[in-house]
Amino acid sequence: MKTRSKVALATTAIVALLLTACSTPGGAGQGAEPETTAGGVAVVSLAGEPGTLDPSTANTFTARIIFTSVCEKLYDADDNLELVPQLAAELPEVSEDGLTVDIALREGVTFNDGTPFDATAVKISLDRHRTLPTSARKLELAAISDVAVVDDSTVRLTLSRPFSPLGAQLADRAGAIMSPTALEELGDDFGSSPVCVGPFAFEDQVSGSEMNFVKSDFYYDKDKVKLDGVTYQFVTDANIRVANLRSGDINVAERVNASDLPQLKTEAGIEILESATIAYQSVSINVDPATSSNPLATSVDLRRAFELSLDREAVNDVVFNGTNVVDCIPLPGQSAFRPDDVTCSEFDPEAARKILEDSGETLPLAVELMYPSSPTAQKTVEVIQQMANDVGFDVTLKPVEFISALEAGRAGDFEMFLIGWSGRIDPDGDVNDLVTSGGSNNFSRVSDPQLDSLVAEAASVTDTDARKDLYEQVLTRIDELKPNIYLYHDSWFLGLSGITGVEYSSDAIPRFKTASLTE
Amino acid sequence: MTRFILQRVITSVITLFLASIVVFIGARMLPGDPAQVLAGESADPALLEAIREQFGLNQPIWVQYFTYIGQALTGNLGVSTRDNIPVAEILLQRLPITLELAGLAILIGLVIGITAGVVSAVKRGTFVDYVATGFGLVGLSVPSFWLGLLAILLFAITWQVLPASGFVGFAEDPIGNLRGMILPATVLGIGLSAVLMRQTRAALLGQLSADYVRTARSKGVTRGREVSHALRNSLTTVVTVLGLQLGALIGGAIVTEQIFVIPGFGKLIIDAVAARNYPILQGAVLVAVTGYVLVNLLVDVAYAYLNPRMRLSGGSE
Repeated sequence: MKTRSKVALATTAIVALLLTACSTPGGAGQGAEPETTAGGVAVVSLAGEPGTLDPSTANTFTARIIFTSVCEKLYDADDNLELVPQLAAELPEVSEDGLTVDIALREGVTFNDGTPFDATAVKISLDRHRTLPTSARKLELAAISDVAVVDDSTVRLTLSRPFSPLGAQLADRAGAIMSPTALEELGDDFGSSPVCVGPFAFEDQVSGSEMNFVKSDFYYDKDKVKLDGVTYQFVTDANIRVANLRSGDINVAERVNASDLPQLKTEAGIEILESATIAYQSVSINVDPATSSNPLATSVDLRRAFELSLDREAVNDVVFNGTNVVDCIPLPGQSAFRPDDVTCSEFDPEAARKILEDSGETLPLAVELMYPSSPTAQKTVEVIQQMANDVGFDVTLKPVEFISALEAGRAGDFEMFLIGWSGRIDPDGDVNDLVTSGGSNNFSRVSDPQLDSLVAEAASVTDTDARKDLYEQVLTRIDELKPNIYLYHDSWFLGLSGITGVEYSSDAIPRFKTASLTE
Repeated sequence: MTRFILQRVITSVITLFLASIVVFIGARMLPGDPAQVLAGESADPALLEAIREQFGLNQPIWVQYFTYIGQALTGNLGVSTRDNIPVAEILLQRLPITLELAGLAILIGLVIGITAGVVSAVKRGTFVDYVATGFGLVGLSVPSFWLGLLAILLFAITWQVLPASGFVGFAEDPIGNLRGMILPATVLGIGLSAVLMRQTRAALLGQLSADYVRTARSKGVTRGREVSHALRNSLTTVVTVLGLQLGALIGGAIVTEQIFVIPGFGKLIIDAVAARNYPILQGAVLVAVTGYVLVNLLVDVAYAYLNPRMRLSGGSE
């Protein structure tokens, strides 16, 4: 009897434990406007590691997020991807021939180590971006042939060719200005303890795990900064980021999975911000007969059949709960250069089947689809596989670890490749190098002189309407060649708990300059 | 005994040398170019070459190895390719954290495992024995990532009594440090305790049925003294298993640190593999191997101390 009681007790305890584990702390959603507190340190959980924080060599999206706290740029982009001055005083003044660009600088600005910010500092940084052997900014600033100091608050850039995307480049890491004093002291180690102009100053780090920043006393706009500091943690697993958000251990979780949204939205104290990003996902088809013997490499019709077999809306619904923005061109909806009317081809399995039958190829037509192994990519390609197989393709899926997939992609060692691009605020960054001959990110290996010429011309024209017209021609040509089948622009979600005032726009970079903790 | 120890030390040094080669070649056998990782979305050939030049990746592999081993012998393990921070500095930052986690996990594993093993052996065939062996089975079967997520769900999200993640240095905040370590150490320790429980139970049952225990019992020795004698002789097996479990503990730490966001060795190794960060990967694995070899050396010595027949046979080999 005694033993039986113990068994009953243990069973009850285990059942209670499991029931509690399966339950959630319910909530009534968002309440009244929370009261904010002055000070405090916001804990932010990011999805990746930043690597170095040297703006000249940094290459990760996570580093771009952190730079918004510690390393401001000459320009920034607003929600409509329009340039706005940041460390510059106004928009760049371009000469009529497009070969000289004057940039007026903010006055009375100081780096976080007390060094004055002036035109000489800007020249030193831009020259470093252009000449450091390991600089990743060289290509971005390749059009600049000289940087000159006009006076303390003006720099003049001389260009070797007219280059409209320059402003956009200066709104990214190529426009980040570093403290000359810190550069002299730290040299190549600048990234381990960066000093720029920013609302927060670098304090310390546990390499690859977390970085701590404290409010800067030198920041020109410090009255708007309410937090005492920001701690960035790097947690690659989205489930863990969400668990930490729900427990209240962190204030911000980056890139929350779409599948977690329904539950998170019901929990008290948790707010979700959404960013319809400029990033896109596409299926690149290897169109180079030298590296792919698949019939799709040489037949635009077959590539079109593949596109017609895909129901983009269904992919979005099944894999992303309908949260992404379905699209068939690389330029995002926010871009001023996007054509006014974009008509994507409709899902038409009958038409796809007919093209395949008329092609004379043996059906089902086998094709291998390589993808970087991740749960989301896996789901995406499985949906694609099912749709394409329904019309007469025989799609084989090939998961490859991300870095290896990039290498295979660049070597042309694939037939089809599901790959994304983080997007750029200037349209040049969404097509140049991605669909131009020999481009390092031109995975499809498309090589078309007409397309190359249109992309080059669009980058050299300064008039917005003329550029927009040229990009429409670029997109039309891409559609005619069909080297890539664009699927959607990503939507990303930012989970907040105990914090307000976080800015989160279409570049999907959370900014904490005006953020404050809530009680 | 001295000869026995000397033999084990020489074996350990040879093991370490061979391990350094395996680690070095193993890291380079990973598909994917580290320069490509560092270059990110950019694949400018000039940039890739500059990165390879910076980290000596364009040299023949044997030149890279001897450069590496030459520097390592002077304590220079190179710099992290991701952020140029010296590997030794990063390892010194991370090692104490994992040692603390592993130490607490071992403590929890020992306390739960040996206690449950002894109780289970002494109360063999009773309800307590079934619960303890059931615990052993569950502890061995349940993957630590699931246990970790369950622990976070219960203790951090539902009851909010312990933090879900994060690490605070012991010197900075001892209470905060221990609060942050309880869940990960328990998750890590439970797997170990299950192994120790089963080993202790089996070894103790064997000893309790040995002739010398039966003789002692017939002479009227109390049950407590009987178990005490048998337990000491059972511990040789337990100590050996503990040493062997260190590898599993490091493997478990990789997962546990990832779940609880503890900036220890395990997380460092995972991140280094993903980033093809050879210097970090080599340094971390080499230090882990050194720790493993050292612990097993100590286990061998402890084993010889606990069982004199071992050192006699070891010495005459």
